[in-house]
Amino acid sequence: MNMSVDRTRDFGEYVPAPDDDIIICRCEEVTKGEIRRAVRDGMFNVHEVRRFLRCGMGLCQGQTCARLVRTLIARELGVPPGVLDEATGRAPARPTEMYVFANEKMEGI
Amino acid sequence: MTRYDLIVVGAGPAGLSAAAEAAAAGMRTAVFDENLKPGGQLFKQIHKFFGSKEHKAKIRGMNIGAELLGEAERLGVEVFLSSPVMGLYKDREVLVRQGDGVCRYKGDAVIVATGASENMLTFPGWTLPGVMGAGAAQTMMNVNRVRPGDRVLMLGSGNVGLVVGFQLLQAGCSLAAVVDAAPRVGGYGVHAAKLARTGVPFYLSHTIVRAEGTDRVTGVVIGEVDGKWNVISGTEKRFEADTICIAVGLSSSTQLLKMAGCEMRDDGAGRLPVCADDGETSIPRVYAAGDVSGIEEASSAMLEGRISGAAAAGALGFITGDALLSRKAELEAALESLREGMFAPKNRGKLPDKTDVGLPVSASLLSRGYLGDAEVFEYPGVKRASGLHPVMECTQNIPCDPCRDACPKGCIKVRGGIVSLPELDEAAGCVGCGLCVAACSGQSIFLVNENAGDGGAEVTIPYEFLPLPEKGERGVALSRSGAALCPAEITDVKLLPAYDKTALVTLRVPTALAMKARFWKREASV
Repeated sequence: MNMSVDRTRDFGEYVPAPDDDIIICRCEEVTKGEIRRAVRDGMFNVHEVRRFLRCGMGLCQGQTCARLVRTLIARELGVPPGVLDEATGRAPARPTEMYVFANEKMEGI
Repeated sequence: MTRYDLIVVGAGPAGLSAAAEAAAAGMRTAVFDENLKPGGQLFKQIHKFFGSKEHKAKIRGMNIGAELLGEAERLGVEVFLSSPVMGLYKDREVLVRQGDGVCRYKGDAVIVATGASENMLTFPGWTLPGVMGAGAAQTMMNVNRVRPGDRVLMLGSGNVGLVVGFQLLQAGCSLAAVVDAAPRVGGYGVHAAKLARTGVPFYLSHTIVRAEGTDRVTGVVIGEVDGKWNVISGTEKRFEADTICIAVGLSSSTQLLKMAGCEMRDDGAGRLPVCADDGETSIPRVYAAGDVSGIEEASSAMLEGRISGAAAAGALGFITGDALLSRKAELEAALESLREGMFAPKNRGKLPDKTDVGLPVSASLLSRGYLGDAEVFEYPGVKRASGLHPVMECTQNIPCDPCRDACPKGCIKVRGGIVSLPELDEAAGCVGCGLCVAACSGQSIFLVNENAGDGGAEVTIPYEFLPLPEKGERGVALSRSGAALCPAEITDVKLLPAYDKTALVTLRVPTALAMKARFWKREASV
């Protein structure tokens, strides 16, 4: 299912758009323009864009923007969003302080 | 590490139902939920649910939630609140945050019922305070008792947008408009009609161009979209608003399933788990139930939960043989009946233009949110009759039939299945008890007496706004579109326990307007 995008295809240069300053990821304050430019710079999937710009890696963990980012990347590449894998699900599924995460209780309360 | 026969993640409608079903079969069951209170979205649903008796139709969602929670507690289900599940690992090991640490649990079966989160839409100004998901507004109103704003614009005409829109009116907000980029109302016509008759305008094929304001929303500009969803220049319209609610669908919260390694499929909008009919994922004894396995609504989520609960009980030998088969068959039949009609998941994206009996679906209802005054007579529930009788403005095939059982005289027939339209049996003799009016979850049944004496008529409407009008109070009768028709005096206000908080308000109008007047407003607010 992990369909990949042909990296040899020429997607053209980044062309600024009037709404490029709209924030897409609020937690990390990543704009539409930054994501569009990242795709043109060769970040062709959700994982790469996340690592490059940190969108979806803030406090809400992509709860709001995951779908927006995926749709935006797909539109930029001219592919249906379904082609792009979603971000990998990892623990902790909810934002957690390190001191809590490290405090493993051997018995359930 | 504590072990349970079944661990359920999420104490919403699907999770609690799954836990109750499994516990009834004798399973030692734990439910983990990240919230302070159980029930998921159920306790926010202050409206009456659709469906049939077996689906708890005409009962308000919050009361269904209380009943379900009571059932789970009676059966010995352990519900852990403020306990977010952080991980789901191999061999059904579950990592839960509890207090200032994390605890590991193991389930012989695990049911993931984590629900969904709201989709967002971006436009200039979407990050301003005052822009929020419709579900968030609903939480503010119905859980935290905070009014989200004074004047709201609702984007999205699906059932969430329409139901929350109505609840905003109930909370005392005004609704500037319901806007949808699609060319037709997405939710139930009866929900749209409830809003339209209060005077809320619908703008289909429109979207938000921008929100105005510097530190909060002060206005919103919408515009008409062309076939490619681009705004047609020159069609912009501006509304005063301090709040914009976004109701553009939900996305399943599948993080735990993905983490566990369940096989996923793409439904066009996002990844969903590949599930068997009983909700079992590609990992044995890990099930997905409710919105996490695909967006539907609470009634079907509760049945999916029960089916997964029964399946888990069957897989571990708590129910066997015929008992298991008959329970599963019973639950599956109930779920199937909810998935019938023009709004069924299988019909999503299609344009229903005819009802099951070949009547055309009202184009006015789909494009403006209300039925035309003439076309309403085309439907079997709407008849002119002498004396007092119910008028059922039910025109779409929705799985719902509590009106039939509500009438003690048998005036209302629903021939065929649960999605068939109700018909009036004049011979049965309406006594004006009003039980059908209060039972209709869509508030689309009215009692009409065209000859109430002195050349006037009486129209009884369902009314769910406070303060209630008083007998003798004068106001204005409104049409289906919310237009002022004539001065109208309230001649009766009834609120019986059997009505479950839907008041029946009777207004007196000229006979010529008896089949047009469908709402009432105080003079001061017109």
